[in-house]
Amino acid sequence: MNKNTPLMSVVYKIIFNSKGMTFLTIIIIVGSIVATLFPPLILERIINLLTAQRQVHLYLALIYFGLVALSGLLESGQNIMITKFGQKVTYGIRREMCAKLQHLPTDYFTRNEPGKITSRFVNDVDAVDSMFTNGIISMFADTFKVLSILIVIFYKSKGLGLIIILVTPFIFAITRMFQKRILKSQLSNRMAISKVNNHVPETISNIRMIHTLFRQKYMEQKYDDYIEESYAATDKSNLYDSIYSPIIIFISSCIIAIMMILVALGGQVQQFFGITVGTAVAIIAYVGKVFEPLESIGMEIQNIQSAVAGVKRINEFLQEPERKKTDSSIVNVEYAPNTSAYIRFEHVNFSYDKENTVLSDLCFSVESGEAITLVGRTGAGKSTVFRLLLGLYSPDKGRVLINGVDADKISDAQKRKLFGYVEQSFHPVAGSIAEQISLFSPEISLKQVEDAAKLVGLHENILNLPKGYDTPAENIAFSQGQFQLLSIARAIAASPKILLLDEITANLDSNTERQIMEALNRASQGRTVISISHRLHEYTYNHKIIQIGK
Amino acid sequence: MNQYRKIKPVPKPNHILSYFKLELWPLTLITISGIIYNVGMLAGPYFEGQLVQRLFDIIRGYKDFYSMVRLAVTYLAVILIVQLMRSIKRFYVRRFANNTSRHMRHMLYNSLVNMSRDELEQEGLGTIMTKAIADVDACVEGMRKFTTEVFDTGVVLAAYISLLFFYDWRLAIISCIFTPAAYLIAEQLKTRITHYNAEYKKSAGRLNSATMDRISNSITYRIYGSELNRDKAYESHLKDYEKRAVSANIWENTMQPLYNIISMSGSVLIIYFGAKNVLGTGWTNWNIAEFTTFFSAFTKMALKSSKASKLFNSVQKAQVSWSRIKPLMREYVVPDTNTSIDFSMPPKLTVSNLSLYLPGNPPILKNISFSACRGQIIGVTGPIACGKSTLGRAFIGEVPYDGSIQISEHELSELSGYERSRLISYMGHAPELISDSIRENIQLGEQGDIVRYLQAVCFDEEVAQMPQGADTLVGSSGTRLSGGQQARAALARTFYNARQILILDDPFSAVDKTTEKEIFKSLRILAQDKIVILISHRLYLFPTLDKVLFLDKGTGVFSTHKELMQENYIYAKLYNSQMAGEQNE
Repeated sequence: MNKNTPLMSVVYKIIFNSKGMTFLTIIIIVGSIVATLFPPLILERIINLLTAQRQVHLYLALIYFGLVALSGLLESGQNIMITKFGQKVTYGIRREMCAKLQHLPTDYFTRNEPGKITSRFVNDVDAVDSMFTNGIISMFADTFKVLSILIVIFYKSKGLGLIIILVTPFIFAITRMFQKRILKSQLSNRMAISKVNNHVPETISNIRMIHTLFRQKYMEQKYDDYIEESYAATDKSNLYDSIYSPIIIFISSCIIAIMMILVALGGQVQQFFGITVGTAVAIIAYVGKVFEPLESIGMEIQNIQSAVAGVKRINEFLQEPERKKTDSSIVNVEYAPNTSAYIRFEHVNFSYDKENTVLSDLCFSVESGEAITLVGRTGAGKSTVFRLLLGLYSPDKGRVLINGVDADKISDAQKRKLFGYVEQSFHPVAGSIAEQISLFSPEISLKQVEDAAKLVGLHENILNLPKGYDTPAENIAFSQGQFQLLSIARAIAASPKILLLDEITANLDSNTERQIMEALNRASQGRTVISISHRLHEYTYNHKIIQIGK
Repeated sequence: MNQYRKIKPVPKPNHILSYFKLELWPLTLITISGIIYNVGMLAGPYFEGQLVQRLFDIIRGYKDFYSMVRLAVTYLAVILIVQLMRSIKRFYVRRFANNTSRHMRHMLYNSLVNMSRDELEQEGLGTIMTKAIADVDACVEGMRKFTTEVFDTGVVLAAYISLLFFYDWRLAIISCIFTPAAYLIAEQLKTRITHYNAEYKKSAGRLNSATMDRISNSITYRIYGSELNRDKAYESHLKDYEKRAVSANIWENTMQPLYNIISMSGSVLIIYFGAKNVLGTGWTNWNIAEFTTFFSAFTKMALKSSKASKLFNSVQKAQVSWSRIKPLMREYVVPDTNTSIDFSMPPKLTVSNLSLYLPGNPPILKNISFSACRGQIIGVTGPIACGKSTLGRAFIGEVPYDGSIQISEHELSELSGYERSRLISYMGHAPELISDSIRENIQLGEQGDIVRYLQAVCFDEEVAQMPQGADTLVGSSGTRLSGGQQARAALARTFYNARQILILDDPFSAVDKTTEKEIFKSLRILAQDKIVILISHRLYLFPTLDKVLFLDKGTGVFSTHKELMQENYIYAKLYNSQMAGEQNE
């Protein structure tokens, strides 16, 4: 992993900011490893006493238990520290990622599905968390454990130490081989699983097509096929997983058997192995212990590997190019009568992908207080004009000026006082109905929210809801038309100077349509209004027309 | 892939035992290998004790070198068999879980795909089903752990305890007395662990929806300058999540070493009294082998029993998941495809005195009558919200009606879903594409030529230019295609699958006028042996249609374009204003 990746710098920052905790974690881990080394040594003493037909004192038994208890306590402590550390990392990464969101260009959100971005926040960060807790930290602990046990074994018996040192690379090679295969099938499983998971919401949204074309069986078959794909991959990785650990245990038995045979040879060989009966007991305990962390290291490598993709995706996300910086010194973009026009498009060229030109040499201007309507066929770029005005995109050529200031330089904080944007359809946010209107802006008082609701004629309806303005969004039983009204309330809550009306896509009955029109008329009072050619012809009939495209 | 058994419907899918019954063969293998393996687990401590004793005897000169070789080889052979059994058990337990997950998903999906749109959307069953399907993993994981632990904890503990009792029953009793205490504490803490876990899950849920909200509404928040304060709100969710994750994890993971300590208290007694046994002053007489075996078996047992509480946790989690899945488990549905209708008869449509209403609401349309016969294209239009889409949806059984819709002498409401789908094809506003290739989206599992349908919707050239042609993947819900491409792919699918009556609700809204005219030409050819109901708010094709149904103010006039232009002032106004708009563009 490269040190310079943004993810690693986040992690370094966390380690750096919590030095005390990092230090404590290391101490506890080391302590817990050292504590596990001692009980077999006590056992050795006990056996040696017994073979010499000597009394075993109670205090030796108590020391043994004491050490076991201590290592248990330290293990608990280790778990706590690792969890805390992992959560700190998770928190830090998510925070950093969230902070990145506001700097991403608008088209990032149109290019990437929200579900996919969310999955980076949720699944990929979880993977990184498990990479730290069940991966890097525990691997460090386990490696240290293996080494310290090897040292003790070597100290106790050079011969056995030699055997184990010879065998360890071999076992590690086997472990790696298994891991690689398991990982491969896990990756194909994950791909299949994502298909399995995607198939369910897709079925729900396509249920009408499935029923009218009578493809229930087909969709079921597809689902079964995806499951089958995942099944085959899992089955394979299960097979490796099932035989790996038995192989390791068998090898450790082989080592014990070989050691015992060699020791039994007596003479010089026994000298080399330097073993008493008590040592044999201790060493059997150690041999069991030396492969345990080796197996865990295997798992940990796997955890790290499976998180690699997540790490890569998080890094990619944090390295996404950022949008143009706005100029926070620009405040109060209000109408100053000395400028030529309030809103001006000067020879604007624009394309989303640098290939298909959407706007070319567009020029128009709007005076303060004027009401205009943009007309043009679908795809001519009417909505694009709005996006440029809102500073969501920057023109390729030419300038978009609001009171002489480039639209894309106006900071987000200023926008709400400047623009009220009625979107094509209402986008509910997670929050109460009052928050649907205020969009959580602390600058908008409840009074302003209520005034906005009154203006669009929703005040009474909202008061009739079970919890009035505090009713959560998911409990609002509004019609599409009422949501559209809510969208107008949202647009005007902060008393903006400019009102932008996009095409309304909802199917509305004539009654609601009238209501919306009246609300729009009231909302337009005293504002500069730009609307996109509307099916509400009666609303736009006295607007100035601006043709977009041919 | 065919090496695996086919997925079969599960009888009594709402009984957890049904899933165990389906897996009798793997379960038998698990039982046999599980018992052999776990009883064989004693072999480790036993042989280790024997090896040490043999070493002691050799050093003392009681036994010779070859007896050690023989013992070591026997030891290895036994361990090999035991470990072999272990791998068999491990593998089949996992396969059992895998199969069960497959069956549960299969059953849940079957009820999902056979639910009506109303059930899925209005009644919110869609979300519930999605959650239930996600629950399958947790449930199966619990079943797997349960099956594993029945042997790895249950059998092995019994084996260890009998070994201990066989060696010295008095010492076994007093040293094992601490283990139940560990269980007792684990049992006491269970509710607390569940509580912290539930809080953690809830917080995770809140965080996830906050993430989704922050991201999917990013542009809205940006337009309204709310990004910064949303980030702050997100951070408070993050803090809450961190806190709860830590406490849930601490309760779940740190207790096990403590249980182990409690169980290991017995070791003091074993060392003290066991040593007496070896020295000949205890309850029984032991050699070194017996001491070592007893001690090693005890240590392993203590470790095992400290993990047993994890078993309780996973079983409990599984129960919670299962309780959510269970009520949704319905008998396997095989849609009824029996029919006495001859679908090859030329189509005929007679609608008389039709009223449409949504339950509990006043009728949307009243007294609609019209008819059509083979080869005709009927235009349906009217002002916004006149009910034209509702009329279209009535043909696919989504809107209840009074009056009559007769299709070649059959009343629509009496047709089964299958019969309806064989008589009527429908295309609504949403393209409803699946994440597969363009080809697959059109054929949907059938094998037929798609080129002429791609040509019919003016999509052939664009498809040919794509790197993989018709095998280009369209992405989830078709997102890799543009809006116009999605609409044409959906139209090609509708044409490919067209039955006798074709209902098209605003099929051309996402294509430009030239394309629309081209596609309309193809529709004319396709419609030669069919009836097409073309619902549209764009009227410039209407002069060429055979008949027009004009809906306004809750009722309809069925006539021709020509006559409507003369007799219906509102229709004429609508048409003229659109044609005037044409000239402007």
